[in-house]
Amino acid sequence: MIKVIQPGLFTTIQDGGRHGYRNIGIPTSGFMDEESAWAANKIVNNKKNESLFEITLTGPTLAFNGNYVISITGGDFNPLINKLPVKMYQPINVKLGDTLKLNNTINGARCYIAVSGGLKVKSIFGSKAFFSNITDSYFLKKNDEIKVSKKSKNKILKWDRFNFKLNRSIEVFKGPEFDLLSSNSKNKLFKNEFTISTNNRMAYNLVEKLQVGTKSIISSPVLPGSVQLTPSGKMIILHRDCQTTGGYPRILQLNISSLNYLSQLKSTDKIKLRLINL
Amino acid sequence: MEGNPKTYFVFNERSILISYNCPTNSKLISNISNTKKRIVTHMNDCIVDIVQSINSILVIFDRTKISADDLIKKLKRIEDTEDDLSKYNKIWQIPVCYDFKYAVDLENLAKEKKLSPSEIINIHKSKIYDVLSMGFLPGFMYMGFTDEKLHCERKEIPSLNIKKGSIGIALNQTCIYSQDSPGGWHIIGISPLDFFDLKSKNPCFAKPGDKIQFIEISSKKYQQMKKENSVKPIYK
Repeated sequence: MIKVIQPGLFTTIQDGGRHGYRNIGIPTSGFMDEESAWAANKIVNNKKNESLFEITLTGPTLAFNGNYVISITGGDFNPLINKLPVKMYQPINVKLGDTLKLNNTINGARCYIAVSGGLKVKSIFGSKAFFSNITDSYFLKKNDEIKVSKKSKNKILKWDRFNFKLNRSIEVFKGPEFDLLSSNSKNKLFKNEFTISTNNRMAYNLVEKLQVGTKSIISSPVLPGSVQLTPSGKMIILHRDCQTTGGYPRILQLNISSLNYLSQLKSTDKIKLRLINL
Repeated sequence: MEGNPKTYFVFNERSILISYNCPTNSKLISNISNTKKRIVTHMNDCIVDIVQSINSILVIFDRTKISADDLIKKLKRIEDTEDDLSKYNKIWQIPVCYDFKYAVDLENLAKEKKLSPSEIINIHKSKIYDVLSMGFLPGFMYMGFTDEKLHCERKEIPSLNIKKGSIGIALNQTCIYSQDSPGGWHIIGISPLDFFDLKSKNPCFAKPGDKIQFIEISSKKYQQMKKENSVKPIYK
């Protein structure tokens, strides 16, 4: 069992997500940064979509009530076990009574803690990913106790070397309503820098505005990574917990790798968009 | 639906968007919902998720099982001719209480539309609607299309707390709030039914493509049904 001593800013349990329910309005949810989460799971010999902890900006303090093998990947939150620094991107043996503390992020916005065996929480509609009104809680709270599915045999044979890359460009495809943009807007999109404003698991808002007055469309399917343009010229990049349909024009679509990268960025960070073809 | 202009758009590495470029009406809704069913039946093994909306279908696929090009080829082969699949689309009878106690925006809307509240109620309940799509909240239903007399913009200032079961109208559509939620639709009634059941394998009884008929009930009946808690929706 793992006990939450301090929950951090926004610590959740995520997995590969809830599939097959978007038609009745249930978001997919799941890992924000799939690449980092998959790496965390692979290092402890879990299936890549196994449930794990997702940490945002300020890390939690967790106490281990058993012997486990864990891994920490993604952004660097200066992880300490019993106050001593531990290495990320490799298996770590923790013992009963050990305490893991993650601090404020040094780089990146999210990190992942996988436990060999996975986490034993209720699966709803095929997923353990936290989501409001679906799972009992939307984020972990102080004193929550999370069971581990299988006790690890401490037999980690080998693991691939993974690394964490920041400073990538945001690659986008044209969205279904790309041609509602003026040529001036199209130029701006790929020439200018954009600043990240408020953001969460549902969406990343951008500060700089584009053309004003673009009419809404008939409510249509959207995806994590869809870039919506509101009538006021605001751009919204949808993320993993986004709604399933929307009425704003879908001007761009991030590729999956850029969506993973975006989830490592925070307010005031700058991005540059690069148009690519599928 | 032969001859209808359709486009296949590669939305991202894992998704194809099928868009129908034709008038949005009841016939289109039923054709889209039949096509969706056929895609699910014939290609279940490579499809991860599928979303039906008013004039499009989004297909999310498993890249390890099929490529986007092959998927489009297969999708094109699934002919969406009209057939008797529509008989599986149910008509759900939904009890609605239009009492002012719950219909918090009815009076204002009536003024705005220069109709009496009872005229609005009568127009609203006299039609059978298509479930166009679901979204916004788990189980939130968009239904259409409403009589032209009821067409209206969303409220300028959204309400912060709309009660579960509330029936709203905006644009050319009507909706049901499946959970307590903020929202911008004009609320003209409430239903005692549960529209989203977490404990069920099939959490929503109605699906896009089904039809909805509103049956007016009294405030007393509403409270009674609400108390009974186990009222099951009926369909024809």
